Amino acid sequence: MVDMLFTAVTMLIMIPVALFAGILYVFLFRKLSARFQWRVGPVVSMYKDLAPLLGASRILQPLYDILKLFGKDTPVPDISRKTIFIASPYLAFICAFLAIFFIPFPGVPLLSTMEESLVIASYLLIGAVMFTILGAASSGSPWGAIGARRDIEIFLIYELGFVVALFSVGLVAGSLSLWEIATRPGLPMLILNPFAAVLLFLVIIGKLAIKPLDMAEAEAEIVAGPFTEYGGKYLGLFQLAKAFLFYDMVALFIALFLAPTLNSILWLPVYIIAVVVILFFITVMQVLHPRFQIAKAMSWYGRWVLVFGVLTAMMVLVLRFYWVV
Amino acid sequence: MTTSTDPTIMEWLKTEVVPEGLEFKPLRENRVLVMVKPEDVDRLAERFVKKLGARLIHATGVDREQFGFDIVYVYDFSKAKNLVLVLEAHVDRDNPIIPSVGKVTWQAVWAEREIKEFLGINVAGMPDPRHQFLPYEWPKNPETGLPSDPSLYMPATTGVSPTSENWKPVGIDPKTARSSLLPIGPYHPGVIEGQTVYVRVEGEHVVDADIKTGYHHRGIHRLIERRGYNKGVFVSERVCGICSAAHGLAYVTCAENLYDAEIPERAQYIRTLLVELNRVHSHILWIGVAADLIGWKTGFMITWGLRERVMDIIEAITGNRVNYGIWRLGGVSRDVSQELAMKARQTIPGLKEALTQLIPAVVDHPVVKARVVGVGPLTFAQAFDGGAVGPVARASNWKIDTRRDNPPHAMYDPSKISWDIVVDDHCDMLGRTLVRAKETFVSIGIVDQCLAYLEKTAGEIRDKPKTIEPGSEAVGLNEAPRGELFYYMRAGGTDVPDYMMPEGKHNVQGSNLPQAVRIRTPSYRNNALIPQMLIGSALADVPIVMGSTDQCLACTDRVEVINDKTEESYTLSWEELVRMSQKRWRP
Repeated sequence: MVDMLFTAVTMLIMIPVALFAGILYVFLFRKLSARFQWRVGPVVSMYKDLAPLLGASRILQPLYDILKLFGKDTPVPDISRKTIFIASPYLAFICAFLAIFFIPFPGVPLLSTMEESLVIASYLLIGAVMFTILGAASSGSPWGAIGARRDIEIFLIYELGFVVALFSVGLVAGSLSLWEIATRPGLPMLILNPFAAVLLFLVIIGKLAIKPLDMAEAEAEIVAGPFTEYGGKYLGLFQLAKAFLFYDMVALFIALFLAPTLNSILWLPVYIIAVVVILFFITVMQVLHPRFQIAKAMSWYGRWVLVFGVLTAMMVLVLRFYWVV
Repeated sequence: MTTSTDPTIMEWLKTEVVPEGLEFKPLRENRVLVMVKPEDVDRLAERFVKKLGARLIHATGVDREQFGFDIVYVYDFSKAKNLVLVLEAHVDRDNPIIPSVGKVTWQAVWAEREIKEFLGINVAGMPDPRHQFLPYEWPKNPETGLPSDPSLYMPATTGVSPTSENWKPVGIDPKTARSSLLPIGPYHPGVIEGQTVYVRVEGEHVVDADIKTGYHHRGIHRLIERRGYNKGVFVSERVCGICSAAHGLAYVTCAENLYDAEIPERAQYIRTLLVELNRVHSHILWIGVAADLIGWKTGFMITWGLRERVMDIIEAITGNRVNYGIWRLGGVSRDVSQELAMKARQTIPGLKEALTQLIPAVVDHPVVKARVVGVGPLTFAQAFDGGAVGPVARASNWKIDTRRDNPPHAMYDPSKISWDIVVDDHCDMLGRTLVRAKETFVSIGIVDQCLAYLEKTAGEIRDKPKTIEPGSEAVGLNEAPRGELFYYMRAGGTDVPDYMMPEGKHNVQGSNLPQAVRIRTPSYRNNALIPQMLIGSALADVPIVMGSTDQCLACTDRVEVINDKTEESYTLSWEELVRMSQKRWRP
């Protein structure tokens, strides 16, 4: 009973924490890319003369951008499948939002102590992307349809890598509970199976539509891709889902590969450093590359996912049958 | 400079090129005017283009009120002889009809659509009789009783009536559901300028394409015609914000060809300097835009950051960033002092080094290569028949450059300034990128040589104005960053309109107003080729192929800030803006 109460309280606290973490990740991503591009980006401490106008800091700029959308008109196209069109953003948001409870935070297990929390988290993270595609496909816009089609092509590749990366870790740890995987004694999985870590990083690039794999949202080619017909609060929900997805993916990476960092809240500084390092690598991918053409992306991405997938699987066999057990 | 009175060329013209000519008149520089009968123009075009390897620069018309129209064809013979041929045919006002040259060469198609639309001349046998500037669906004159032209790409009946229950997106019809029609433009995030490209796609594959322009035709020719030669300098610079120097030079070259102008050498060097600086910043800008079109924001930001260094040099020399305001008939308005030239020259090595580091990084990037190699193919034959100009033509292995073929009054003589034409045989986006990247270095070399001259010498920068003889004609050519730029002018006698003159007499009183000014910009040619480059490519490549002919942007220099506390609005001064832009990102 006390355990359940504790879990419920931590879950309640986790909602704003995850939200702000997601927003801060997006901020850091934007700030770092700006500095790479000789730009200023969202300012940390506002210029003195502009502070009375614009506030002391713009760290929460990604949140303001989302909140702004909730104050706007929300058009629904006549030619769309209205039920799916309206339900999709809610479902995508709910999936990305619920996933935060199944991924542990330092010292806070939440629901990740459940036996199949890895499976549940993976399904929720798949759902968050799938409902985005569904909404685009039902919007009736040719741009949305093309964006959805591109999304599906990439989706098929990275979901394969996602499943391989997740279950390779599960197999080696001998558990499907994320909390058990995350608090497992011994070497972190990053050292045991670095191929799986690279594979999951590739998946993150695809799932978060980081360049060179942002074909689905290519603004110069297909307007806004899946989001062309979305505006107002529905677009806001999608962006909120994206912020949560950002948090989810980074947290999942740490839970799977940097095992002891989640044992207690005292590991928080290490956790933060890990987050910054992961975001740094994501940003480097973003600023270093132009966007691929979809056909070339399929061959490039498919090749690397396949290579690291096979390497991961071989590593799992080695670890499972000759080394650990 | 000199009137082309080379007797061998005149003889060659009379015997081999245009034996049908009614009247031969040498114009200034290497231009010769020949009057022919209107029914001969298509036969002549076939001979010029197919047999003699000439190139149609532009076709246009001059309205001579009750005396009818003069149709003007300008051919470039520079591959055979040093000659620009101005072919004129007179048509009646009652029955203005002329055979189509467009059926001989695609180069004339857009020009003929324009003649038809602006002057109402019937062009017999046009391969593409649709509107050029008006919307395709624009109704016919009501008195004709004819229905409006159905567009080739917008069928008049889609089989779906537009009620709110069964409304379907444009062109999606169960019968044609295999493909869908995507309108890219008039305002689309990928293509900043107002133009529409209709692409019919099957999945990601473009099976058909069409381009519609005319969204911001401003009638600038007419503005110059109403304002006269001197004020025309001001207007012509405002045709384009990016290649304003090229327009200024082409205009003054054209106007100076109307009279005996002697441009001082120093002025010619300053003109060359500015046009080349303009080309450097335009090409760097294009590399940035191209990077943005393939989704590479970093490349965009860094190239535009480097471009600011070129803009600083331009600003130091002219005091302006966009419209330089330095062009005058007979010279330039401002001298470049020796001290300034020396200072500007010191910045050149640093700029060159930065570009040497940047450009290979852009061109050799593996993902950039994947996006440009084999994209938007344009063979030499297509480029020649379509009349491509500038970097687009040179990337298709066609060695044309107005600076070498028909140089304007600037120092492009190899004995004065050493430079070379850049050509490339990739015939695709990679070629166009490489040509522009290499041309940047060639232009920096020219700039360096001009500054070296200017820092050592001094002298006059402007010739005294002279009167313009009525009825004289001139062609001004210049290589803009995007390709060959063409101006045609006819000095008018519009003080006394022709209808007030005795029967058959043309007004020779003279005035300070031109009778006709015609401009053909390089993009006008290259944009006509976009559909050819698009068909067969992937949808993802549409923006970059459209961007491969280069684009223009406009910018403002003042910002209005509204204080949300007091609801006051105030305008930031230039000094404040400079101060804000120079402030570090952390105060």
